[in-house]
Amino acid sequence: MTLSASPLTPSPARHSLAAAEDSGAPLLRVSGITKSFGRHHVLQDVSFDIAPGALVGIVGENGAGKTTLLRILAGELRPNRGEVLLRGALGYCPQTVILNNALTVDQHLDYFRAAYSIESLQRADELVERLNFGRYRRTLVSALSGGTQQKLNLTLALMHDPAVLLLDEPYQGFDWETYLRFWELTTELRNHGRAVLVISHLVFDQSRFDQLYHLDQGRLVVAELTKQSA
Amino acid sequence: MVGFSQLRRAYVTATKYALLEQARNRLAFGLLLIFTPLWFFLFGSIISDAPVAFKLMGTGAFLQVNGHNMTVLTSGFNALTLIVGFTLYSFTRNGSRFDRRLVLSGYRQPVLMAAKVTALMGVAAFVSLVTVLIMLLFWRPTTFGIVLLGYVCAALIYGALGLLLGVLVESELVGFFLIIMISLIDTSLQAPIENPLANKRFLEYFPSYGPMQIAVSGGFTHTLPGASVALSLAWFVGFALVGLAIFWLRTRAWNGRQRNQSTAAVTA
Repeated sequence: MTLSASPLTPSPARHSLAAAEDSGAPLLRVSGITKSFGRHHVLQDVSFDIAPGALVGIVGENGAGKTTLLRILAGELRPNRGEVLLRGALGYCPQTVILNNALTVDQHLDYFRAAYSIESLQRADELVERLNFGRYRRTLVSALSGGTQQKLNLTLALMHDPAVLLLDEPYQGFDWETYLRFWELTTELRNHGRAVLVISHLVFDQSRFDQLYHLDQGRLVVAELTKQSA
Repeated sequence: MVGFSQLRRAYVTATKYALLEQARNRLAFGLLLIFTPLWFFLFGSIISDAPVAFKLMGTGAFLQVNGHNMTVLTSGFNALTLIVGFTLYSFTRNGSRFDRRLVLSGYRQPVLMAAKVTALMGVAAFVSLVTVLIMLLFWRPTTFGIVLLGYVCAALIYGALGLLLGVLVESELVGFFLIIMISLIDTSLQAPIENPLANKRFLEYFPSYGPMQIAVSGGFTHTLPGASVALSLAWFVGFALVGLAIFWLRTRAWNGRQRNQSTAAVTA
């Protein structure tokens, strides 16, 4: 099977991203995020920037605050203090597939076209071909394999050409084929000035990352990257 | 800023897929086409033609009606409220995470809420029509249109109740149990065959009171009780508003993405 090697078509949003890139302004700026649930302090003064074209990872053990940080970045939760600034759109790919079993692949793309208020499905069509599940476009999600559902899950997060792609535990959700294609897509996204943020309890291929942070008991610290030898 | 045409497209899209999801609900169709006639047949078979009294609260008059026909009419409410309540409960509960993802992706909550209400009304109308058409196999009411209106009102009320329980109750078992018990208690109390205390004033405070008054009036007279229609719609609107308010609270997005796609911020 030959993988499609054609790159994704840049969208008009690239202009604003190019401006951000040229000015050095981060695509995502997180400042002083603090969140508590009652007396339980989950996040304490979390701050970091993500520059255009960067691949950033945040790792932490269970209970470190990853899910809370993720929910704040995705917009599900409001922090007690702090600010999240985003230049452009956010693409959020959840760990578990969040799809509608009663709809087909094409119907999901149509649904999210309305959600993102985009006119064209060109980018979505390209992603479907790149992730190699075009033959399932008219298939109900309930009839898809877990791996194909994951591909659709990722496509929905990318189809609007977001400035920042936020991934929740991608290593647990992807099958091997999707994992490989994910890294190809990540490289292309970065080359076009997009940024990728991976939040996980562990990180493979650390050499790919520009920056790695460790979330420990709600505090974010810079982690030392382990560069793999050639 | 999202323009009116985009909002309209979003509404049409969400409504289309909500109705499509219901059209693919094989369990609901099975219940409607198999369970409903069986229900009519069984209840109609065990009750004789002996006359029973039913009080029309609007006029205070007691109707002396055929017991078998009355049972067929009221048993239809049992089946209808269960099916519509189950359907909307499952639809709302199972779609909650997907709805959340849509809102986080930029879908306006009012648009999704409007689509859900539209789908609810579509389901209520369709299930009511099929139920009344099946009922015609067992008995022909005096005024078909008024009976249908009574059934539609009951379906709207229990559809809205299903939506409310779908956003409120996380346990599927608890949700189904509540629908079953509320429906059985409510509709059974209204039926004079099943309930010796029927025709009492306190029944006015139950959800199916209005629809039952409408249906019985249409089943045996040509009168449309307007007050009962208003009461039924009030129950529907009440359940729907509470359910939609909880839906709004549970699917709020804090990223400002819905208002501005180019830059978004969440601050505290």
